[in-house]
Amino acid sequence: MNALAEPLQAAAISRGKWIRILVVIGRLFLAGVFLFAAYAKMKPQVATPWSLNSVETSLSMFAMQVDSYQMLKPAQVLTIAHLLPPFELFLGLWLLGGIAPRHSTIVALLVLTGFFALMIRTYALGLSINCGCFGTSEQVGPRKILEDGSFFAFSLAVTIGTFWVHRAKARRPFPLKRSARSAVSPPSH
Amino acid sequence: MNSPNHFSRGALRIRRLFRKRNTIALGGMALAVLLLLTIAAVPNAVASSSTAAKATETLPAPVKTYGSKNAPITLEVFGDYECPSCGAFYETTLRQMINDYVAAGKVYIVHRDFPLSMHKYGYEAARWANAAASIGKFSEAEAALYDNQNNWAESGNIEKYMAAALSPADMKRIDKLMTGCDVNTQPGSHTCPWDAYIEQDRALGNQVPVQATPTFIIYHKGQKFPAGQGVVSYTVLKQFFDQLLKQ
Repeated sequence: MNALAEPLQAAAISRGKWIRILVVIGRLFLAGVFLFAAYAKMKPQVATPWSLNSVETSLSMFAMQVDSYQMLKPAQVLTIAHLLPPFELFLGLWLLGGIAPRHSTIVALLVLTGFFALMIRTYALGLSINCGCFGTSEQVGPRKILEDGSFFAFSLAVTIGTFWVHRAKARRPFPLKRSARSAVSPPSH
Repeated sequence: MNSPNHFSRGALRIRRLFRKRNTIALGGMALAVLLLLTIAAVPNAVASSSTAAKATETLPAPVKTYGSKNAPITLEVFGDYECPSCGAFYETTLRQMINDYVAAGKVYIVHRDFPLSMHKYGYEAARWANAAASIGKFSEAEAALYDNQNNWAESGNIEKYMAAALSPADMKRIDKLMTGCDVNTQPGSHTCPWDAYIEQDRALGNQVPVQATPTFIIYHKGQKFPAGQGVVSYTVLKQFFDQLLKQ
């Protein structure tokens, strides 16, 4: 019985290890997406050096893209346009840092769900506008919906994975210290 | 001495040569036909383009701009008179921009025609606007077209709304300038002199590339910002312009 259980246990451990690695890679990828999105929105839109003024100009330019969704009042548009890119930067750094990963992935999932829903709404309304997602002229259409849908699905998978890893860690017995381990198990030779 | 084997080899060579020659001859003939066809087509193209050039040469060029060229900001708008978003952009944003920032010499607005094929009367409306622009009545024509967009987009009677916005004398001049421009005239035709200007704007739009209307490009201090698309409210556009003017 022991002979059968040991390989199974080993396989389970190695599977768990792989899931943990994949979840970390997934989280880092999400961090990259958010960091790039923030950079694309805040970078100088024309050939000017980085400065507070150039960032302010870029955010004002982004406000026009937010406004073209025809969903918010001008005052709200300006607030969202000035808060969203710094928030994306913060979220990217949070995901990258790996602090409270369950919370950071949940927040990322909520944000990406919002973006996905927004793309569907815009397409359903027949608005021919630029997405403004990564600062380039990407028009909202089936391709953009597919892209945002993929990000949403990916984020969902990473969030589920993060929770699974957390549960697996919680279930595992408290690791014994090396000295205690050597006392329990007899030397192999 | 020629052996029979040697003889047949020679015959084979001659036959191959003939075959080669036949191929060359056929190729040459095809080339000649192609050349003839090209020569036949070129004079027509040259003739038609020269007719269009003559037509545009004799008529005053339409000026579809607002404000001074020396303004620090230039706003280039690609629009279709029948597109509802263009109408909304004009009514809610551009009109106010013209009254405030253009009047103050801060912004120069350039209109570019980009009629979409999905709109039945968009191209005809652009012809009317160009004809009016050639006599310096662009702002009146644009306002009339956007103010009554729903009406003429349904009936196709653009002339009625132009006549209401312009003086009888101006309308008489425009009517004359619209000779050869009919709803049934194919877009880009050589009978309507304004089609050349519309096509010129369209070509500029394709370079952007314009994917939907309205599409607008902002220039400031010789720098071109990425193209924007859709309806942007006056407050938001104004905030961006104020930010640029601060620099």
